Amino acid sequence: MTTFTDPIGQHASEDDPRVMLDNQIGAFEAVPPYPPRTEREAEFYSLRDGEMFINMGPQHPSTHGVLRVVLKINGEQVVDLDPVLGYLHRGVEKLCENSDYHHIISQVDPLEYVSSLFMEWAPVMAFEKLLDVEVPRRAEFIRVLTGELLRVSSHALYQGWMALDLGGLAPILYSFIERDEIVEMLAAITGQRMLFNYFRIGGVNGDLNHEFMSRLGDWMSRAAQQHEANIGLLNENEIFVRRMRGIGRVDKDTALRMVVTGPNLRASGVPYDVRRAHPYSIYPELEFDIPVRGTGPEGGDSLDRYLLRLDEVGQSLKIIDQCLHAMPDGPIMARLPRLLRPRPGRAWAAVEAPRGLYGTYAISDGTDQPFRMKIHDPSFVNLQLVGLVMKGNLMADTMAVMASLDPVMGGIDK
Amino acid sequence: MSSISRSLSHVTLAGRILIPLLFLLIVVAPILTVALAVVVGPWLVSVLSSNLGIIRFVVAITGVLLFSIPAAFIIIYMELKVIAYMNLRVGPNRVGPGGAAHSLVAGLKVLSKEDFSPANADRLVFTWAPVLVFLTAVMTFLVIPFGPGLVGQDLNIGLLYLFAVGGMAVVGLLLAGWSSFNKYSLLGGLRAAAQMVSYEIPLTLSVVGLILLAGTMSLHGIAEQQGGWFGNWFVFRQPLGALIFFIAATAEANRTPFDLTEADSEIVAGFATEYSGMRFGFLFFAEYVNVFIVSALMVTLFFGAWNSPLDINMAMLFLNDELGWNLQPIVVNLDPGGLGIGLLLLILIVPVALTVVFALPFYLTRSKLKAWQALLLGFALFNVVAVGAAFTLAFIGWDWVAGIIWFFIKSFAFVFVFVWMRGTFPRVRIDHLMGFAWKWLLPAALLNLFLTATAIVVVDALKAG
Amino acid sequence: MSFIPGIGLVRGMGLTLRRFFQPKATIMWPEQHADVAPKFRGRLQLLYDEYGTLKCETCFQCAQACPIECIDMGGVDTKGRFHVHWGAPETYGERREESALRRSGRPVADKAYAPFEGIDIEPLDGILEAHDYDPREMLAILEETQAEYGYLPVAALKHISRVTGAWYAQIYGTASYYRHLRFEPPAVEAPAAGTAQIAAEASFRSALDASLGYGGGAN
Repeated sequence: MTTFTDPIGQHASEDDPRVMLDNQIGAFEAVPPYPPRTEREAEFYSLRDGEMFINMGPQHPSTHGVLRVVLKINGEQVVDLDPVLGYLHRGVEKLCENSDYHHIISQVDPLEYVSSLFMEWAPVMAFEKLLDVEVPRRAEFIRVLTGELLRVSSHALYQGWMALDLGGLAPILYSFIERDEIVEMLAAITGQRMLFNYFRIGGVNGDLNHEFMSRLGDWMSRAAQQHEANIGLLNENEIFVRRMRGIGRVDKDTALRMVVTGPNLRASGVPYDVRRAHPYSIYPELEFDIPVRGTGPEGGDSLDRYLLRLDEVGQSLKIIDQCLHAMPDGPIMARLPRLLRPRPGRAWAAVEAPRGLYGTYAISDGTDQPFRMKIHDPSFVNLQLVGLVMKGNLMADTMAVMASLDPVMGGIDK
Repeated sequence: MSSISRSLSHVTLAGRILIPLLFLLIVVAPILTVALAVVVGPWLVSVLSSNLGIIRFVVAITGVLLFSIPAAFIIIYMELKVIAYMNLRVGPNRVGPGGAAHSLVAGLKVLSKEDFSPANADRLVFTWAPVLVFLTAVMTFLVIPFGPGLVGQDLNIGLLYLFAVGGMAVVGLLLAGWSSFNKYSLLGGLRAAAQMVSYEIPLTLSVVGLILLAGTMSLHGIAEQQGGWFGNWFVFRQPLGALIFFIAATAEANRTPFDLTEADSEIVAGFATEYSGMRFGFLFFAEYVNVFIVSALMVTLFFGAWNSPLDINMAMLFLNDELGWNLQPIVVNLDPGGLGIGLLLLILIVPVALTVVFALPFYLTRSKLKAWQALLLGFALFNVVAVGAAFTLAFIGWDWVAGIIWFFIKSFAFVFVFVWMRGTFPRVRIDHLMGFAWKWLLPAALLNLFLTATAIVVVDALKAG
Repeated sequence: MSFIPGIGLVRGMGLTLRRFFQPKATIMWPEQHADVAPKFRGRLQLLYDEYGTLKCETCFQCAQACPIECIDMGGVDTKGRFHVHWGAPETYGERREESALRRSGRPVADKAYAPFEGIDIEPLDGILEAHDYDPREMLAILEETQAEYGYLPVAALKHISRVTGAWYAQIYGTASYYRHLRFEPPAVEAPAAGTAQIAAEASFRSALDASLGYGGGAN
């Protein structure tokens, strides 16, 4: 009979074939093959009695993208955890620094593949600041309109993923139906379904057309109703609510200390939204509220983060409605030369993406390529919360809390 | 001959061995059977007739084994299709009409896959654990009554046997989880152990009240007591017990929302993570056979087993008395032999005549239809009518046909409910699951038992006094 | 959550049951095709002009511009003579080239793979030496090669590609862009200017008539 040998620990003899096999298997173990480099590593990778490591990801059915989380568990309880990043790293900042200004728009698109228009928005705004261009009003309206549509689709998808990570099958497909309608709609003006490559420096690529407007009208007439129906599936579900309430609490101070932005911050009771705090585009002219939840002492849990996004969908629908009513006529592109050579300078622009503040810092040295481009991605910051909120929870909650933080790996790994 | 050899050249090695064997089987098997029947037939008959119990057992086991696979196939297809419809998808639709053969093909796929076992797995346990799981699932079929008298073995401790054998499944799952040499599998196995052992207790206790009422543990006996109107079903006398049984049985069968043992978003596939090929198939089939068993148990214990909800004879009596109608119970008293040569004529003429009769309206009303097409339609219609007539006759004439039909209708209604729940609910967490079993279900089951016992005592006292 | 425990679960089940009977969202591909917007850019197809000729001239400009180098082009050049490819042939080998050909919608022409005629590369080496094997001076190299050989032989292009490190398709794209560079030896002695002019005019006229639907020569 085989005897159980610990693949991490010491082995009796090195030439035992089973031991050799164990060594091979050890290559897939959570423990890195090198000695610990920091105190944190030494502490994390030492096991106490009854504890074991378990690898969640990068190929796990429920991690978002290729996130790998090394969990140190004691039975079902998570003692400690360590997210390992970098499986989707493209070096997008360097790619941007080596391509000209128009080119960058297509490079940053896949950063956050769920809501890629926002990924174009911030760099485009930064470059407009560098070039000192006035964007036509119609273009600004179209940007806000498409952006809010995409925010709805992103939050709808969030709802589905959330349920899927808790084991519910149906909501993800309803979400995808919802998202598919929006994405098809956007494809009618942008020409793409996922990586739109639509915003241009000084405007947008194409004007609103009949196809888009008819699809939008069709969707708007039943969006609110459909939204209500999809909410009803989960919001009152006892199993769902019990699993979400009080789990993954992030209080106000922690959230501010960890520089969390976006819905995750607002769900902890801080009414901060870039659209109101540092208004850009036409947002000052629009009427909408900043939904805030989790102001109470027990606030800031997963359920708050979930419900807040549902509130935001309602506000986005309101914004879309206003945009459609106030849409002015006029050009959609500012007049710009083909080859852009901004004066030397630096610019920072930030937008409120569905996951938080998404910002771009660009330095121009007078050539047709930016000298330096820094991308601030909200998912990366928000993901840092898992180390704080997950300890002591059950393993089943790891995925639920992570889903409630809504990270997108494209943006995290950049 | 050359064409045969050419086609043989495309056959794989396994096929080349199999085809001659099949040929041999076709030729040799009948000869052998006839020879055996002639030589040892009388002796065999005399031996077997003195041991009818053994024959019954063997036949029942064979029948159960043969039945369990198609039942699993049907439930798998049903699950795929129903959940797809609930998700606004279409589901399987390519293989067979409406994708009906999909699960069959999936089964073949499972058979043809590599039988892989990971390094450092305990090969012996790893191989036999799925068999154990499947075995326990199939063995529980033995005591389930599908119709009046249609039961593999009518044990007088049927319920006890059922819980005992069902409880053995946890050993299989734990072994499967342990021997896989995988942490996910281990966690899944441990979860299975914790969950199934915890839910055994409310499951068993919820039925004790029913046993007190029925006074027997034989499933056949319990089923017989629920005859007549649907008011006699135990669900109306044991509503709390039925609810507890339903919840606990869902957990026992590892179904959503209690499918923690194979929670894909947490522990990949639980104890089944490392399994592939037919070993995985065993685990997979066992799961769906379990679903059927749980539904069948639910029907047998609480929803009147094979009995129809309406008592036709009672209804007729009621109508005759109250409304003055003159309805007579239908008695099928056919003696085909009495027709003599007429029977032969009937068999020859009736199908043809009915086919033509059914075909005529199509042919006359639809000018596009060709004669043979109309005849084909007529023939199909005739078959439907004939089968319907046969079923109606059987339904009226023979109790057990009606019993089987009612039993399957009700069972698959419950299978639908299980699938429906899977399509709707998220998964509960392990501590909620355990807390629910020990803090809510167990006290509720005890309360149910207490109430039932009190009621029986009180009613008996009232009757006596 | 409501006051009655379990009512949320029942309502959820009610919703899924309603969905059970609703029309389905699945698009039954391939019988049914998605309703794609006219502006959709993601179609994998090459466009044809009104005469039914492929508009793609295999100039490889798109492949060169592709930011993530996902365009892998293979095909026969516009004259249908030899095979050109943009991609990573050394990584994927012939299989990739063939599949690229198939994807570009053209039959795999046998003569495209026929070995090209060899040339005397000594003068070519001299030219390349003079330009320091610099691919940035490709136009000058090509012009001098043409001056040397009278046209641009395939063997010369291949040799230039191998020596300078520029991709063959890139060189081909450059060469096919300029009118004065030719891939074939001038077949006949160039006729006098006047005759050529008249001949060109006549052929143009007949083509115009044919396209406008007039009878041959009847104006």
